[in-house]
Amino acid sequence: MTGRQIISECVIEPGTGKAIELLKGQILRVEQVEGGQCADFNCFNLHDYKEFMHCGRTRTVHGFHPTTGTFMWSAPPRERAMLYILEDTVGRNDVLFPRCSAYVYEASYGFAVHTNCHDIQAEAQREYGLTPDDVHDSFNLFMCTGVDEDGHAFMTRQTTKRGDYVDLLALMDVLAVPNVCGADVMKTSNFALKPLKLTVFAATDADLAKVPKTPTLASQRTPKDFKNPTIKTDRPLRRDPAYTPEFPNTPIVVTELAISLSPAEMEMFNAVKRSDIYGDDDAAALRDLLFSWWEERFLQARAGAPSIESK
Amino acid sequence: MTDTVVKLRLNQQQLELIDRTIAQGVAPDRVALVRLALHEYAAAHKAEADSMERAQ
Repeated sequence: MTGRQIISECVIEPGTGKAIELLKGQILRVEQVEGGQCADFNCFNLHDYKEFMHCGRTRTVHGFHPTTGTFMWSAPPRERAMLYILEDTVGRNDVLFPRCSAYVYEASYGFAVHTNCHDIQAEAQREYGLTPDDVHDSFNLFMCTGVDEDGHAFMTRQTTKRGDYVDLLALMDVLAVPNVCGADVMKTSNFALKPLKLTVFAATDADLAKVPKTPTLASQRTPKDFKNPTIKTDRPLRRDPAYTPEFPNTPIVVTELAISLSPAEMEMFNAVKRSDIYGDDDAAALRDLLFSWWEERFLQARAGAPSIESK
Repeated sequence: MTDTVVKLRLNQQQLELIDRTIAQGVAPDRVALVRLALHEYAAAHKAEADSMERAQ
């Protein structure tokens, strides 16, 4: 961090959060004051709140525990890299769990009122006119989670210490909303609520040089590309009588392609075809083989995630 | 022994991907591409298929 200029710093106390205008090229550091504290995090495009950080997309691209060298992505159809995780001294974050909510503490623990990440996020972002419905699933910094053998997500204690931090570099102007996770009766923050320090820096050239290139694709659409770019301003849903469906690439039309296989090729095919799935439907098994081969040979990015070019 | 004809059923999006792959010079036409896929996939997965068969 040598040479970074500090723009602002503050401490957020337990039970609170803070909405921060983080401009492109600025870094938000979320830092442990005592250690052992989870920070829930949301962010929005500062100039269009309908573009927001999407844990589902981020999870697909970077796995369950994104850390240094990964991005926070916005939801489809925007799908842009919003923030880059420049540094992470712990390397254990979570995008499996949603933010905790009042419901959890009432249903499981009997609390009429309890600190919870949804309500803290909602209160922090209310400063910018956003509603409780505008809170999205959070990127949970320092939260130690996993998936058990039955496929259930679990959380456990964290090992963070005073001074541990995550540095988030803004790749666009965002409203960043970190909060002190309200869970004091779960393992999330080791059964205690502690403050977190927030520091905003101006990124140096060396910081900016660390960011890998991401592709710019036609599919990364913005409101100018939408058939309906207007944000709905009332709550009831009413059918548009003028609506006519315009689904892309429809109708889906199937064409037959006859492939003549020699006895040797049939033997080859029979040895590897997925009869366990397709039974005696050789056409379906050959189609599976064709696209499985294509994926293995040509697909650059796991799970259809956007490829990221290393610098 | 005679050849066996398998009739692949592909939609326009799948055909587009195949045609773009052909345009890269991977194979001269659709049939040749499918045949190449079969040969390469079988070579890569034969051992895996054999071990699955032995396990059953």
